[in-house]
Formats: sequence, C-alpha cells, structure tokens
Amino acid sequence: MMKRATDYGYAIKPVYTPEDIAELDYRRDLGEPGAFPYTRGYHPEGYRSRMWTQRMTAGLGTSRDANLVLKKYREMGQRGGMCVISDRVFSSCIDVDHPLGRREAGVLGWPGCSLLEFEELMEDIPLTGQSITLLGSCAPTTLRLAYVVALAEKRGDDLSKIHGSVLESPFENYFGQTDVQPFDLNLKLFLDASEYVIRNRIRMRAAIISQHFQESGGNNAQALALEMAMLKELCTLLVTERGLDFDDVATLPYELVSIGTRFFEEIAKVRALRRMWARLAREHFKAKKEKSCHLLIAAHTSGRTMTYQQPLNNIVRCAIQTLAGAIVGATAIDNATLDNAHAEPSPLAARMSLNTQHIVAYETGAADVVDPLAGSYFVEALTDEVEREAYAILARIEEMGGMIAALDRGVVQDMLREEAAKRFREIDTGERLVVGVNHLVMPPEEEFEIPVQELPPGDSEGIARRMEEWKKTRDLPLVAARLSRLHTDAGKGDRFNLMPAIIDAVKAYATAGEIFGVIRMARGLSYDPFNMIECPFALQ
Amino acid sequence: MTNGARDENVTLEALCRGDVRTCARLLTRIERGEEAVIPLLQALYRAGGNGRVIGVTGPPGAGKSSLISCLIGAWRRRGLRVAVLAIDPSSPFTGGAVLGDRLRMVEHGCDDGVFIRSMASRGQLGGLARAAGDALTVLEAMPWDVILVETVGVGQNETDIMRHAAVVVLLQTPLGGDEVQAVKAGIIEIGDVYVVNKSDHPAADRTCRQLREMIARGSRLRPDRDWQPPVIKTQAHLGVGVAELVDAIDGCFAHQNADPEAARRYMSDRARHRIGEILRDRLDRRLRSGDEGWLEGSIEPVVSREKDPYTVVAEMLSRL
Amino acid sequence: MSAGQGKKVIVSMIGLDGHTTGGEIVARILRDAGIEVVYLGCNQTPEMIVRAAIQEDVDLIGISSHASNYGQIVSLVELLKRNGAEDVPVVCGGNVPKHQARLLIEKGVAAVFPPGSGADSIIRFVLGNARGATAGLCVNGEGIA
Repeated sequence: MMKRATDYGYAIKPVYTPEDIAELDYRRDLGEPGAFPYTRGYHPEGYRSRMWTQRMTAGLGTSRDANLVLKKYREMGQRGGMCVISDRVFSSCIDVDHPLGRREAGVLGWPGCSLLEFEELMEDIPLTGQSITLLGSCAPTTLRLAYVVALAEKRGDDLSKIHGSVLESPFENYFGQTDVQPFDLNLKLFLDASEYVIRNRIRMRAAIISQHFQESGGNNAQALALEMAMLKELCTLLVTERGLDFDDVATLPYELVSIGTRFFEEIAKVRALRRMWARLAREHFKAKKEKSCHLLIAAHTSGRTMTYQQPLNNIVRCAIQTLAGAIVGATAIDNATLDNAHAEPSPLAARMSLNTQHIVAYETGAADVVDPLAGSYFVEALTDEVEREAYAILARIEEMGGMIAALDRGVVQDMLREEAAKRFREIDTGERLVVGVNHLVMPPEEEFEIPVQELPPGDSEGIARRMEEWKKTRDLPLVAARLSRLHTDAGKGDRFNLMPAIIDAVKAYATAGEIFGVIRMARGLSYDPFNMIECPFALQ
Repeated sequence: MTNGARDENVTLEALCRGDVRTCARLLTRIERGEEAVIPLLQALYRAGGNGRVIGVTGPPGAGKSSLISCLIGAWRRRGLRVAVLAIDPSSPFTGGAVLGDRLRMVEHGCDDGVFIRSMASRGQLGGLARAAGDALTVLEAMPWDVILVETVGVGQNETDIMRHAAVVVLLQTPLGGDEVQAVKAGIIEIGDVYVVNKSDHPAADRTCRQLREMIARGSRLRPDRDWQPPVIKTQAHLGVGVAELVDAIDGCFAHQNADPEAARRYMSDRARHRIGEILRDRLDRRLRSGDEGWLEGSIEPVVSREKDPYTVVAEMLSRL
Repeated sequence: MSAGQGKKVIVSMIGLDGHTTGGEIVARILRDAGIEVVYLGCNQTPEMIVRAAIQEDVDLIGISSHASNYGQIVSLVELLKRNGAEDVPVVCGGNVPKHQARLLIEKGVAAVFPPGSGADSIIRFVLGNARGATAGLCVNGEGIA
C-alpha cells in the first residue's frame, strides 16, 4: 500500500480547504515579502532584484585540474560564485603524503592540504566579485579561512571585498559525514574561525546546516528542529563565550537545505525555516537589526533521492527539486544530479545541472513572482504542520540542555539512525515508490550507461609525491618556528583564538597535517590521529 | 596418546605462544557451547591464571569503550600486552547483535600487543556468564599481561561476569540526572574503583560526592573489606585522568597482594563462583537436553502428587 | 530463532570514507536477521579490518563504500589472502560505478550491492556465502589450522 503521508509521517488529506488554515493570520504568520516574520522571503522583489547564484561544484584530481574545471565553469556562464569540495584527505586534516592520505588524495575532491594548493586552485581566478565557497568538513575550517586571508594579502585584495563561505559547523560529524578530528577540537576551532570572521568584518559565512542530516536519512521536521538547535547553540556560544554582539553573529550562519522530490513539503519546510529563524532572532536573541532576522538559505537538490538505477531519471528529479528551490526563494542553488549515485559530477552532469537551473530560471516564469504558493490551503497547512512538529522536537532537545547535550546522550544520533532505517524500510517494502528502484524496474543489462568521472589510478600517489618533494623546499626553520608558536598558543585554553597563529603558519606553507598535528599535541592527543607518523619538527 | 589429546597439545602450545588465530577460533566454539572443547578448557585452566583480570562496567553511553581505549594505550606504553573481551547485548527478538565496542578502540587496530574480541550476550540463561568465564580461561592461559572484560552495567548476567575480575572499575557519567545510575542498576556493591567520566560536565562534582557517600555507607555495611574504593574523574576523549585511574587499579592489586588472607579470599570466592556457574550451566543443559534418563523415577511421583518437587530435589542434592 | 543465528560478520567503512549511513543501515538489517555484526565504523585501513576479521573470527566482511576508494577494497582482499583468511568473503555496497563493480568482482570481491538493493537480497547473499562452520581448530581431530 502506497503511503500518503509527509516524510515526517503525518497523513495527507485528499483535499485542503479554507478550514485547514482558519487560524492563519496573514500579517502575523506570513507578512509581505521583506517583512517580519519573513515566511514569504526577504526581498520584496524576489528574484527580480537578484537572481539566485547558480553554482556547480568542482574538485577532483590535482589543484591544477580543479582550476581548469573552475575556469571552464566561468566560460559556461557561472560567474556568481565558485564552489569547490575537498577530498577526504584534506577533510580529515592529514596530508596527502600521509600513509593513508596518499591512497585517496584528490579522489573525491580537491586535495587542499597547503596554501600552495589553494594558490594553484585559484590561478587566474579572482577572489572578489564572486562568492568563494569551499566545502569539506568542519575540521579544515580554520585552514580554508587562512588560505583566503593569506592569498588576499598576497594579491593585495581588500579582505572586506571578499565574500563566500568556508566555515562549517562541527555537528556534521554526527550526521553521517564524519571526519577524524574530535568534536571538542572541531567546536573550538569553529568558534575561533567564526570569531575571527566577525571581528575582522570578513563577509565569510559559516555553514550551520541540516543538509548532511537529511542526506543521511533525517526527515523535514527533524531537519528544521536540528537547524534551530544548532543555530541556537552556536550563536549562544559566540555571544556568551566570545563576547560578540548577536547582530554581528547573525551575519555568520547560512543554511544549506536539502530539497527532495516531495515538492510541496520541501517548499513548506523552507518557508517555516525563515519564520522560525526570524522569531528566534527577534524573540530569543533580541535582535536589534532587522537584517539579523534573515537567514541566508541555499538549496542543494537532494543526493539521497538520486538513484543508481536508470540514472537519466535523476535529471527529472533534479528539475523538480530545482523548481522547488526557486519557488521558495533560495539565495543559491547547487545540484546533485544524474550521476550522483555513481561518482563525482562528470562534465555532462555538470552541464545538465547548469542547464536545469537556467530552464527553471528563464523558461518557467517561476522567478517572476515572489512566493507564488502563498495562500495555498495545502502549502500553508503544511508550513504550519512541519513547524509545529519541528518545535516539538526542538523542545525535547532543549529540555536535555541543547544540541551538544542531546548529542552527548546519543539522542540525536539515535533519531537519525531510526529515521534512516525507516526510510530504507519504506522503500524496501514498497510503501514509498521510487521509479527504477522498486517500481518500473529495468533489467540491469538494458540500462543506459552514463559517463563516469574518475581519477585515474596512480594520480593520488602523484599528488602525494609532489607534496613530499615540495615540503623539503620550504623555509623549514620558518615553518618550525610558526608551528612552535601555534603549539604554544594551542596550550592557552579553548577561548584563546588560534586563527592568527594558524594564518601565520599557513603563510609559511605549513600543511594541514602539520598544523592540526601540533594543535592536537598541545591538547594531549597524538600528532597523527591515525598514530602512523610522528611530528617531524622539534617544537620549542 | 589419542589423536584428540595430541591435537589438544598442539592447540595448548599455540595458545601458550600467544597464537591469536587459534584463540579466536576457540572462542567461537566456546560461544557456540560446543561440548568438545571441554577437555581443552580443563587443560587450559590448569595451565592458566596468568594476567590480571580487570572488569569495566557502567551504563550505556558512559564512555566505557573510549576509556578502555585510553587504558590500553597506557598499558601498552608500559610494554604490557592487553586482551579485551567486550560483551554487548543480543537482540532478544532476533538473536542478532550490533557489536560496536571495537569501533572506539580503533587506534589499537594495528597493534600486535592488543587482542580485542567482541561477544554477544546471546541472551542465554546463565550461558553468557559461562561462555565469558570459559573465554577468560583461554585468555588467562595466554601471554596477556592484562585482560579486560567489558559489559553493559545492567542486569544480573553482567554483574555475574564481573565476579571473574580481580578488580572492577565501575563507570558513571554525570549525565544521568539526579540519581547515580549504579544505584538504579543495583551494582554499586561490586566496584573496586569508581570513575566519573565526562567530568567536565557541570554535574560531575555532585556525582562524585554521591558516589563517595554511597561508598562510605557501603563500607560500614562490610567491615571485612578494608579497601576504600577511590573515585576518579576522567575525560576519556582527552585522556584526562587516565594515569590516575591506572594508578588506582595498580593500587587495588597491590592492596590485594599485600594481604595474603584477602588474596586467598578473593581466589576462593572466584573459584566458588566459577564452580557454581558451571554447575548451574551443566544442570541447565541437562534439563533442556530432552534426555531425561537421569530423572528416571523422579518425575512420575511428582506428577501423581505422591511427592512434591522440593523433596525430589533434596534427594538429588543429597546424592551429590 | 532466526536464520542468521551463529553467523558473525564485520561491517566497516574503509580508508578515509566518513559516510556512515549506509553501513549503519546494513548493520541493522543483518542484526534483524539474527546475525552478529561487529561494526567497525570509519577510518579503518585494510590492515585493521583483516586483524579484526581474524580476532573476531568472522564469517564475512561487508564494506560500505561512498568514497570511490576502490583500491583499498582490492588491498583488503589481497591482504586476507596473504593472511590465510581468503575463506572470509568480502562484500561491498555503495555507489560503485558498474565498471568498477566488475573490476572488484574480478579481483575477488564476492558481490557488489548498489544503492537501492533490497534487504532480502543482502541477507540471502550473506547467509548463503558466509564462511561455513568454523573448521580449522585442532581439537578432537577436527580440522587443523
């Protein structure tokens, strides 16, 4: 029996009428676009004043490879922003010449383990005039920021002219996107980077996002609740522990929301998100600036929904999801697309992704009107419902003492595991139909084989060797001195900001593994999280 | 010499050499309750008794496995070889289990001086304790300096297993709310060393205080026991307090060794427990075996109510 | 009593792959079929997985892969062989492109399960292909290691 319920399990009625939104008060609950509580969006003119940033993700092989792809994207018309994803080596903050790193360097993204790699990545590409987004995990947040600061200084760019996002929250580690560094270290460094950005007025955003949670199986209501819980916890820490003003802190976070194929529910979720954040900012944090009630929301079409079977169907899914992202007024959209269940995006997949966005933006008319589904009995009822359910989950988390306390008890992890298992079961038993997987299945031999983008074997070793040789050519006494300073600073307690020492070390071309190694040592941990190599420097 | 006896000798030698593969296979057969391994276990018991057996228990989520990982590290730095028996509950519905303790000991995954074995409780009545006891017999005949046994600190089974250990470390976390979880679980009596993990939590000091009060009350109830269990604060994820914990465990062993009378008492307690465990297990197996020849003549009078079951059991026990 | 009773398997990620969702779901499916699952989680090298397989005496190894690092899975198969544990089959699940799946099978991986595989097919394969009764212990004349 096919299930007719929202992804968080509420039954869906055959028809919705005015009675379903009898409680709705237009001014209180929706407001005009550009007015509190911002359910309908932040700009009165919507996409007429500014189109969403259409971006495709790059990163595979060497930094020079990724640089060529970025330039190609620019030629294809992607000028608003660039987005690069890190490989698993840089995400773990070890080096590509580490015994484990050399097996996977450049395999799943960009091997950005030193400033040299960033310089090569950005060759002939401006740091200003487009948003710079570097994705990965939480651990290298400080390094990504340090690269941007160091390169801007080298090029003589005004830091205040650079914008984008290079910070990622430490919670992803619990959302099926694990890096090897411990949570408390990730949290400390995330707060360091955030504080540095805010105090120096750098327009860099931090991803405090529910995307990984949802891609790992969480439902819409849970994603909203956790998004609020994470924002609340991290903003509170920045205000209370780092002594920052909330109105400054509010310029930091952005949400990358995962948009699936359940069209109306996805739209309802994002509308509820805007309203929930506006109320949190105004009522809980006592925001003084209206702008603090705006949460920057980017949309990612859901990789989880992209099937391995009959991959061309994914183009259709991606189009539906992109349309939802546009209708809901996302500031930026990036796509998981046809080969998502196979490999990193091939040139064909990237082209399809960009085309999809342009078809939605210019052929459908969806970008001409702000929040076109407002007032729909169904969508407004769904918006209220998902918000109510999310508040109920949030209340349970708050009762435990907030997001970190709930994680300490394993409650959030259990919630995610249960939900992921449920989702699997629903498809396994046919309660939810997925074309090509449990419905209209095709024999594998009849399937259309799509081109797959891969790193040729041996390239990882090449990247590793290059780093090995290059490391020796650095000004080693300088590297050692900078690392020693970092080591000393890292022993000064969690509130002592390590950004200045990290930036100095990065400028001397100290690497990710070296920088994290000495920070770890100062905290009583081993230099290498895998216990395979020793610190090559004598620290003073 | 029979074939069986010769093979037994080969296995025995392999185990005494520290052969991990032989050990692993034997543990599987023990878990399956194979009767054929008993002669070998007999030989191993006589050859064994090496190594310090330390129990670690505490509620789920207290950080047992992470703390054990730290302890392994500390002992390895002192050159000691460590074996770990990590017991997790089986699903009562399917008999399956997800054994996740090993995942927190990942840093010792490539160390030849460390052996880690996960064991599912398999929900057998008393069978778990028997299998764990046999597993310890095997490990104690091998060249491990320290043998750790880890259980979830709830239920009689787990408490029983802890009686195989010379020193029991009882882990608590301050996250449990107002009440110390050990009280709920009724296992407060068994600890030799208490640990409050996650000691950076605001409620940690209160948990420590509650534990100390309980220990003080407990020692008034047991004047025969002159060991005062210490309460140690740790933060397993940072390795904080681990050195103190190792010292406390050493201190407890030293205390036991310093008093030959106490040491003897512990050894005979343990032997008595082991005998009882095996006795119950053998009896249980016989009762469930369907072979009721040995009950010949005892059943009928109970069915016809000529005799009551207590009388029959008393007669059997008197024959023992 | 379930079909899987007495079977013990490893479920692990390999290398630097930090994606845990698939592995956790498979671990649950197998548990619910009565199988004992030693869940190793992330950051496991082929060397560590082989050691775990020997110490835990498992009947099958399942690798959840979401990181295109197939070379490591091949190393795992080779390392098992070198350690005399080639009777422990390796099964892989995840978003493995078809030509890579074919390559893995050629190199000795027992099966590759793509995303969307049903629980039944996974369980059936595991029960049908897991190493049989533990032979090899030298007790009472049964098998010699």
